[in-house]
Amino acid sequence: MSAKIMGFDAYNFNFFWLMLLTAIEVGVVAQSENMAWATLIFVLVSIGVVKFIGIAAVFMHLRFSPDSNVLTATALFPVIFIVLLVLMVGLTSPSAVENLPAFCRPGYYGL
Amino acid sequence: MSDDHGYHHGPHEWSHGAPHNSWAPIIISIGSGVFLFFFAKAFTMNEGMNGYIYDSAPLPLAIAGLAIIFAGLISWWKQDFSFDGSYEPQATHGSTPFSNVDIRKVGMWVFLMSEMMIFSSLFATYIRYRTSIDSCYSLEGTVVEPGTACWLPASYFIAKGGEHAHSTLGFMPDALVPGAINTFALIISSYTIVMALKTAKRTDLEHAERSIKVRNYLGATFCLATLFLVMKMIEWFIGFHIGPFEAPSLLSDQFTIHNDAYTYNYGHGAEAGAMTVDIRMAASIFYLTTGTHGVHVFAGIVGLGYMVVKAHKGGYGPGNSVSIEYFGLYWHFVDLAWVAVFPAFYLY
Repeated sequence: MSAKIMGFDAYNFNFFWLMLLTAIEVGVVAQSENMAWATLIFVLVSIGVVKFIGIAAVFMHLRFSPDSNVLTATALFPVIFIVLLVLMVGLTSPSAVENLPAFCRPGYYGL
Repeated sequence: MSDDHGYHHGPHEWSHGAPHNSWAPIIISIGSGVFLFFFAKAFTMNEGMNGYIYDSAPLPLAIAGLAIIFAGLISWWKQDFSFDGSYEPQATHGSTPFSNVDIRKVGMWVFLMSEMMIFSSLFATYIRYRTSIDSCYSLEGTVVEPGTACWLPASYFIAKGGEHAHSTLGFMPDALVPGAINTFALIISSYTIVMALKTAKRTDLEHAERSIKVRNYLGATFCLATLFLVMKMIEWFIGFHIGPFEAPSLLSDQFTIHNDAYTYNYGHGAEAGAMTVDIRMAASIFYLTTGTHGVHVFAGIVGLGYMVVKAHKGGYGPGNSVSIEYFGLYWHFVDLAWVAVFPAFYLY
């Protein structure tokens, strides 16, 4: 793949940001005692999602290749089963709904 | 597929000795099944469910399973060693949705889909029990019956440092250092494997020079993967006692899958307290998930070992660089799984 992102080699560009995000991730946890719990989770999940996309899109060639689209669709196919797994297994505890953290409940975000 | 075979699409010719007609994956699968079945039979939980009974009788059959796996690998590698990329079958034109896509590439993605389901089931289990068992933190200050089950996450021992929050670096407990090193090691190894692919595709280099560079990138990936497993062993069993660092192992901290009487100390001064709790569930799910990931890393190391040897013999070039790409897909998946495992199990 000789794709470029913002004029830089895609692999190098992706690697630089992945390293930076990982450093932030570890640093945030190191300072977790000084952060609100919800903020910590939000930062960790956000960084995780961005890293996930970076690795899948650039390193796994789900972008910038002629067959990227069909392979992206293939890779995303299990998502429906993953959602079902989480809903039907992960949240089947009798008290799971009542004991969900506040940030997962209606009203937490003023909605 | 190259033109020298006279056609462009489809795995219709099986006489090339190319790896696409190999029985090896099936042999390896059978060997894995035999090994896992009999290895599991060697260990049974005791009546109190706080220890195990070891029976050596099934072990010979477990070893036989390993031998079958090894035979399958040798067979597969012998077939692949001479593969120069001259026969890369593609899905037949018009066979939507994969027209003209390499069949091996599609096969690898289908394999990765099954891998996603494995890790998803582990995460669903994690969510299931984490939402249904009280956190040990939430029980602090209350009267707790000894042996009460509660969730003491691995992050208590790792990200918080447990009762031994020694911090050499000043901004993170020593116990987190192996996990942090591992996270960087996997990210860097993802980069080195794509650089191996990029280099193998280069046509501006002499074959010998290109082979050395490819071997070095693959070798770096191998070393980083090995570092990952070594750090994991240090974290689980040995403890991080290198230089000024001082972090006990999870084993010596008694974070084990059959600890139903863990003494959890909390608070300071007048608010200090202790309770005896059952932490088996949290420990089981932690070791099962991170252990499954570790097994994937180990499988990657075995594959990388072969690829380094093949690269050293000059076995990779622009014609068959896709083999590195397909292994790379697996390796990036292992990295992706860690992206999810690390914050969920080590940091939260």
